[in-house]
Amino acid sequence: MTVSDRSKQSRKIDFFGFLVERFPLDKMNIKHMLEHKEVPVHKMSWGYYTGGLTMFFFMIQVVTGLFLLFYYQPTVSDANLSVEYITKYVSAGALIRNMHAWSASGMILSAVVHLITAFAMKSFEKPRELTWILGVVLLVITFTFGFTGYLLPWNQIAVNATKVGLQSVEDVGQYLPGLLHDVPRILRETFQGEASVGQSTLGRFYALHVVLLPLALVLLLAGHLLQVQLHGMSEGVDMKAAKTERFFPVFLFKDLTLWGVFFFILFTLSICIPFESFLPYPLLAPYDALGATPAGIKPEWYFFFVYYPLELLPFWVIILLSGMVGAILVLTPWIFAGTSRKVLGFIASLVSVYLIVMTVFGEQIYHLLKH
Amino acid sequence: MRTINNRAIQIDLLKSRLSKHFWFGSISSIFLLSCFVSKADSYPQFQEFSEKNSGRSVNCAMCHTSGDGPTGEGPGQIGSLKAEEIARLNSARAALEPGSQVESPILNDFGNLIIKSLGKRKVLALRDEPAQLSIALGNRSDLDKDGICDGQEYLDGTDPLNAEHGDPLKLFRINLSKYKLHICLALLAVASISFGIVRLLKAIEILAAVRRS
Repeated sequence: MTVSDRSKQSRKIDFFGFLVERFPLDKMNIKHMLEHKEVPVHKMSWGYYTGGLTMFFFMIQVVTGLFLLFYYQPTVSDANLSVEYITKYVSAGALIRNMHAWSASGMILSAVVHLITAFAMKSFEKPRELTWILGVVLLVITFTFGFTGYLLPWNQIAVNATKVGLQSVEDVGQYLPGLLHDVPRILRETFQGEASVGQSTLGRFYALHVVLLPLALVLLLAGHLLQVQLHGMSEGVDMKAAKTERFFPVFLFKDLTLWGVFFFILFTLSICIPFESFLPYPLLAPYDALGATPAGIKPEWYFFFVYYPLELLPFWVIILLSGMVGAILVLTPWIFAGTSRKVLGFIASLVSVYLIVMTVFGEQIYHLLKH
Repeated sequence: MRTINNRAIQIDLLKSRLSKHFWFGSISSIFLLSCFVSKADSYPQFQEFSEKNSGRSVNCAMCHTSGDGPTGEGPGQIGSLKAEEIARLNSARAALEPGSQVESPILNDFGNLIIKSLGKRKVLALRDEPAQLSIALGNRSDLDKDGICDGQEYLDGTDPLNAEHGDPLKLFRINLSKYKLHICLALLAVASISFGIVRLLKAIEILAAVRRS
């Protein structure tokens, strides 16, 4: 056997070992995953609830989305009318639509908080690398849900913001080398489906939003949850927690109670504040291809952290930074393997401050620096 | 000279749209139109004030049928009006005093309400003090029935014809009071379900323990 053969065989064994460690068959039973599972109790224990909360908002999305499917028409001529019909004439239509919109924001917010707390608690440590990577992919899918869903009401802000978004995707190509140069353009053409954002785009975004993305999310979520149940909750703090509580029924009950509290908050918000009331009404008018583009076109609030820097900095800087952040996120389990939780907590705090400042004050910062 | 020519062309355009039966009765209206039509009656002072006061983008759709204003050939714009609609437009333009039943095709319900309740003369006078429009309208009218009166929606830069659009904080206060029964019922339902789930989880745990033993 040559050295290279030996090396290949050893790599195969390593990979097999890696998989066995992440999917231990002996632990795949109710006893291990439910009855004997313990959850550490410490000052960061609240972080364990953020994942469940994200799942709760996803479930609300599915249920309210199914109701909306009964009436929504994915055609450029009827999309806006059907949304108006749902809001004005369908029994509890406005409430369902508002719950869908509010819970979409809730899902993205809780997913981001979950990622940041998981990072600060070092929940990506061996053998939880797959849990982390699946979580990152789930977050990307969640953002894509937001992007595709934004177009569906077919109003001024929806179509114009989608045009800007798709154009930005294509613009990435000019900074990519070789064969990669054409990939963003092909992606844009694939999702847009015609020369400009139109019926094909709406159809494709609709298919993505209601079929492909939910399917992908459910499959990946199943993998993510399986990993969480197999490996248990991470310690979360440097010192081993003095106290633990049983996952079933103690933690599960607390989790469900929190879902109840958030359902009540969501219901109250949805019945009291229509989500669209935050936008200027000219942006909510049906899209008019021949009319003037109204002022104030911008993406949903959860894209502000990248939108305002995009308006202020050269495009290549944003691409470079986005690429770096993406790579760091995927490689986090290996890059930060030896980093202490104190340092991770500091990095997580910095990221949180950046996200909050850009989301809340991004517009003011933009005007301050531009004028 | 150019303005006069433009005015003449626009009058000719309008004339051609008038029906045969209506034509003779409309000479006086055409005369009136010749006074106004050179620049369609959009008063940007109100839009500018609403925008400045609220910090929100506002467009002509607050009072007009078309978001791009009354001038043009699009739906709800002067260039696309039929004879019967021009008659309604004329009657709205002649409504100088409050109380007239007007239904201008270039105005939406809010625009028509302004003309009905204030009269054209007052609207023209208010152009210099656009803030006074809200006071002049009073707080009796709420076309979209969202609980925020139309005058206040004008100040807030929100859509007075859409119940789903208004100042978020005001809507929250109004709807909280309006739907307090629904909210109490939701609270009761959530509490009952939580109570039921606790009992269910405990029962499952006890059953599991019994089975184990």
